[in-house]
Amino acid sequence: MSHEHHHHHDHDELALRAAALEAVLVEKGLLSTDQIDAIVERYERDLGPQNGARVVARAWVDPAYRDRLRSDGAAAIRELGYGGFEGDTMVVVENTPAVHNVVVCTLCSCYPWPVLGLPPTWYKSPAYRARVVAEPRAVLREFGVVLPPEVEIRVWDSTSEVRYLVLPERPSGTDGMSEEELAGLVTRDSMIGTGLAASPA
Amino acid sequence: MGGMQGFGAVVTPGSDAVSHADWELRVFAISTLVGIEGLGKGSGRAIREEMEPAEYLRAGYYERWLWSTERRLLRSGAITENEVDAWVARLADGGPPPRHDDPAAAARVVAATAEVDPLEPAGNPSFAPGAEVRVRRMRPGGHTRCPRYARGATGVVEAVRGLDAFPDIGPYAGPDEPVYAVAFASDDLFGPSSEGRWTVMLDLFESYLEQA
Repeated sequence: MSHEHHHHHDHDELALRAAALEAVLVEKGLLSTDQIDAIVERYERDLGPQNGARVVARAWVDPAYRDRLRSDGAAAIRELGYGGFEGDTMVVVENTPAVHNVVVCTLCSCYPWPVLGLPPTWYKSPAYRARVVAEPRAVLREFGVVLPPEVEIRVWDSTSEVRYLVLPERPSGTDGMSEEELAGLVTRDSMIGTGLAASPA
Repeated sequence: MGGMQGFGAVVTPGSDAVSHADWELRVFAISTLVGIEGLGKGSGRAIREEMEPAEYLRAGYYERWLWSTERRLLRSGAITENEVDAWVARLADGGPPPRHDDPAAAARVVAATAEVDPLEPAGNPSFAPGAEVRVRRMRPGGHTRCPRYARGATGVVEAVRGLDAFPDIGPYAGPDEPVYAVAFASDDLFGPSSEGRWTVMLDLFESYLEQA
């Protein structure tokens, strides 16, 4: 069942209603157009998984930073300049050979905006929200992630104001790589837990 | 909706994108600005859950945000439905949308999105890490942060996250309470599974919990 497919017919109507709401707010002087432009731009351009990737790469090369991330995720993430809405309190959960973490919000769509930006459509979908707590291995398989049976899967349901970032395992064969090169291996999904960090080409 | 059946695949064509049309992120921005500027009444998150359930499932994600944002503004009296309907008609007739810029205001709201307000430490939590707790049986009257699938289940406190406003009594208006990270074994939530066992971690407010 896909909402996107069923309801193309009323997308124009929704676009019109959204534009009308914006027009009312601007006409009444409650918001300015460039305020709206600026927020869109901030969340489209400045905030995104490139930020989280820098956090992960730093943790891979700097054990002291990794320790700080473990003890106070949001404070360590702020060291790199990231923080704000939907990231007041962030907990970093670390993947190991024995534990694989995956994050969801079954209630709606809680997601660590400062380090990942806005969530992809699947993260907000009823299918992901319903299934990943109840059949995580089947969901991970859809993403191409098949874990050995002895690996403990921990599903973090973001039910409070705490936001979660997965610290993926550093791929093998990356010993000589720079922090910047390592950041290039850190995918968005690896920081949600539906993926693994990429292997070097 | 944790544990519900029948939704099909997670990974589908287009599901990787953050949004599918420009209006969606403009609605996101307007909703965020309604919060920053204090223009609305009520929590968008809670109001979205007032949608009739079949409608909630039918609607797209940002359609729900549009719905809740308009209601927050109507309830505060900032706008009226007639005003929105009038602009729908004007724009449908090809009328130009109004534009007004205020660079200082734009810079101010961008800075606001970077403000942080971490949870306060919980001074006197009732449960310590290692405590066995049971999620109370309950039927909240509206918005709650306690998922249905965990009610009645027993878990183990792993950490005390801090103090936060209890969200169930008038959304986000309740007194502060400790929030706990509680670990649940999958079979205590869903019974035996062909997948074996896994762990589900939930952040739960103290009112949701009782000593097991």
